Amino acid sequence: MKRPAIQPITAPAIPHYTWRTTSSGAPIYLLHNSTQGVVRVSFVFRAGTSYQSAPFSASTVVNTLSEGTANMSGAQVAEGLDFLGSYYDANIDRDWAVVTFCSLSKFVHPTLDIAEEVIARPTFPESEVASYCAKRKEQLHIQRSKPDQLSRELFGKALFGPNHPYGITSPEEAYDSLSREQLVEFYHTHYNAASAFAIICGDFADDVEARVEAILAALPAGEADQRAIPEPTATPLSTLQIKGAVQSSLKIGVPLFSRSHPDFVPMQIVATALGGYFGSRLMQNLREQHGYTYGAYAAMINLDESGYFVMSAEVAAEHTDAAIEEMLGEMERIGREEISEEELDIVRKTIVGDVMRIFDGPFGAADVTIENIQNNENNDYTEHFLERVATITPAELQQVAAKWLKKSSAVVTIVGPK
Amino acid sequence: MIDYKEHQLSNGLRVLVNQDECSAMAAVSILYEVGSRDEQPAHTGFAHLFEHLMFRGTQAEPDFDGPIQEVCGENNAFTTADYTNYYITTPKDNFETALYMEADRMTGLNITPEVLALEKSVVIEEYNQRFLNRPYGEQWHLLRDMVYQSAPYRWPVIGLTPDHIRNASMEEVRSFYGQFYNPSNAILGISSALPSERVFEAVERYFGHLEAGPQLSARSYAVEGAIESPRRRVVEADVPADQITIAFLMEERGQRGYYVCDLLTDLLAGGESARIFQRLVKQQRLFSAANAYITGERGQGMLILTGQISPGVSIEQAEEALYGELERLVNETVGEYELQKVQNKFEANITFGELNVMNKAMNLCYYRMLGDMSLLNGETAIYRSISAQEIADYISSHLSRQQSATLIYRRKQ
Repeated sequence: MKRPAIQPITAPAIPHYTWRTTSSGAPIYLLHNSTQGVVRVSFVFRAGTSYQSAPFSASTVVNTLSEGTANMSGAQVAEGLDFLGSYYDANIDRDWAVVTFCSLSKFVHPTLDIAEEVIARPTFPESEVASYCAKRKEQLHIQRSKPDQLSRELFGKALFGPNHPYGITSPEEAYDSLSREQLVEFYHTHYNAASAFAIICGDFADDVEARVEAILAALPAGEADQRAIPEPTATPLSTLQIKGAVQSSLKIGVPLFSRSHPDFVPMQIVATALGGYFGSRLMQNLREQHGYTYGAYAAMINLDESGYFVMSAEVAAEHTDAAIEEMLGEMERIGREEISEEELDIVRKTIVGDVMRIFDGPFGAADVTIENIQNNENNDYTEHFLERVATITPAELQQVAAKWLKKSSAVVTIVGPK
Repeated sequence: MIDYKEHQLSNGLRVLVNQDECSAMAAVSILYEVGSRDEQPAHTGFAHLFEHLMFRGTQAEPDFDGPIQEVCGENNAFTTADYTNYYITTPKDNFETALYMEADRMTGLNITPEVLALEKSVVIEEYNQRFLNRPYGEQWHLLRDMVYQSAPYRWPVIGLTPDHIRNASMEEVRSFYGQFYNPSNAILGISSALPSERVFEAVERYFGHLEAGPQLSARSYAVEGAIESPRRRVVEADVPADQITIAFLMEERGQRGYYVCDLLTDLLAGGESARIFQRLVKQQRLFSAANAYITGERGQGMLILTGQISPGVSIEQAEEALYGELERLVNETVGEYELQKVQNKFEANITFGELNVMNKAMNLCYYRMLGDMSLLNGETAIYRSISAQEIADYISSHLSRQQSATLIYRRKQ
């Protein structure tokens, strides 16, 4: 039996949205896809953790929006959504908070009735907030006994500095002093129409758009927060020892730039070659050749005002030094030797395949659109991205990697045994 | 609702095809009816180790991933106690590459002692990462050992100890492959926009010539006897919070009791509004996190009640509260509204779970393995037929302290 010939692969069609500014000033984006009888509505706010002055206030706000509103208790919100079989998801990163409702299209209106309460009329009841804070404090304590969590936190501090808004972590006890007033304040200054946009994706009629517009119109009045993100200060090597660990959790990063930088896409391709798929260099080296680890990865991470390159792996404790050596070696090699056309071809196909998989299913288009809007782009960006991936040369990649991936600027963090 | 067509090749391979007009991708899923329950008690973890070896190349294709990456494909696999599932997605016009690669490794695997040695160290690192290097990491080893005394669910899929993985031999690799990896022990599921005739034709071309393989005698597994008196184990460990896990032995999948257990754990913990979250976590603050679910094996699985206990709450109090929730389901009949809520949720979850080709291809294989394809689109009706009284009766007869196995992690002071 012979391997089948490769059939031509057409680049995925990038769905284009329509949009308009609603009466409140907040834009609304519409992505129609009427194939599956489901709809997703996301409300996006400039309300990530880097905007907070009180520790944990940003995440507590987004997570307690649903815990009590002007007309519903938290239990009624949960009850109402569960009865419809609708999903509610609140998500936060350093820059953005995203609140998503997914429902069967036939239940979109009752779902949005609840959404309006959650988004526009939260009351942050004292007792619910206290209960949430107590619970989260305990959960964070539990999380912080896990090497991967400790490693993430240590790496953030090492990359940006312990007090930088993109690197800071707070002690669990900070939950004890978080007040309801701080939450109300954060909500009013960061969940206003000037800081928001909404997206509707899936199978929906025009009246759904009007309904979402009304929700945006009910948001508090106010201006967008003009924060200033300071320059990061990186620490080259940080270690944290934990008793009884059998593995070391390794992260190696390089502070770089955000997605608007012309070298961001080339660096994404470099990161994919290093650790973005199973056949990648780090995976082949650390897992397949040496058996040091179950998995090794690399990626470019984008923040609104910054960005970085990162490699990570959890390795057998006795191979910690050797693994770091190999990771740094791979990082340097990609800037020293031109990638072969064959390898670059696989890397390109990995990226195209990943994009195609995101668009399989009715909601992937919403994720792509949200990310583009957050970066002040539209979905043409994704088309240009794919063009750049298709046309970049080995020489360009080598040049970019050599320019940015230097051992001397690497930030290494190790969480491992004593 | 998944539409499908089914056909069996002369070598025994069962093939199911779904046509999904709206996807640019094709998903190819192949399920082998072999899992950790087919292992010998002294050689556990082997089915999973073997899953890793399936990516190690054949005479014809020494690199499994390369040809799939060349067509923008992606592939992976997982092993359960009951079966091993491999899956590949590619742009639809390249689905034949996926078929070819799967057909090739079904009979052509080429494992050397060096490859085996390397893969063992990868699996041991997986073992360390997931089971040793984290708090409560060994809980499933301990709990399964308490619940099961004869059934082969006594060990987790990863294996009883890393030593079993270290001891795996080339001889075992050969005999396991010969016994379980052949068309008559496999199910192929494909979902894409391609017409089903086109897909069946290609499957015949790539798989039709393979030999059926040895006739597997009907496998039977030791039946686990009921738990007749409470089993209990307390572990003092360096964990961040006390934790309690209560397990009950369930009926096999497909039995009425299986669905009753699934539904009743959803009443307890299926969504933010469910009883355990609202009452025990939020109102009474007894747990920082709690859950109720079924483990979902094909044979006798487990119904689990578990929670991480809040500081200042005693383990006894936490345990009473969990049993209290079971008692309430018996003493205060569940209302029609609440029952309808969890049934609605099942129905919505099924729709949300069928939004991409991968899930559809995997579901086709899974339900074919269960032996009753009417369940593929028919389970909602079963859940809708369960009454509050049936739930109460089930709890009274099956979920008492006498029938429980309880694992407690006590925080070392």
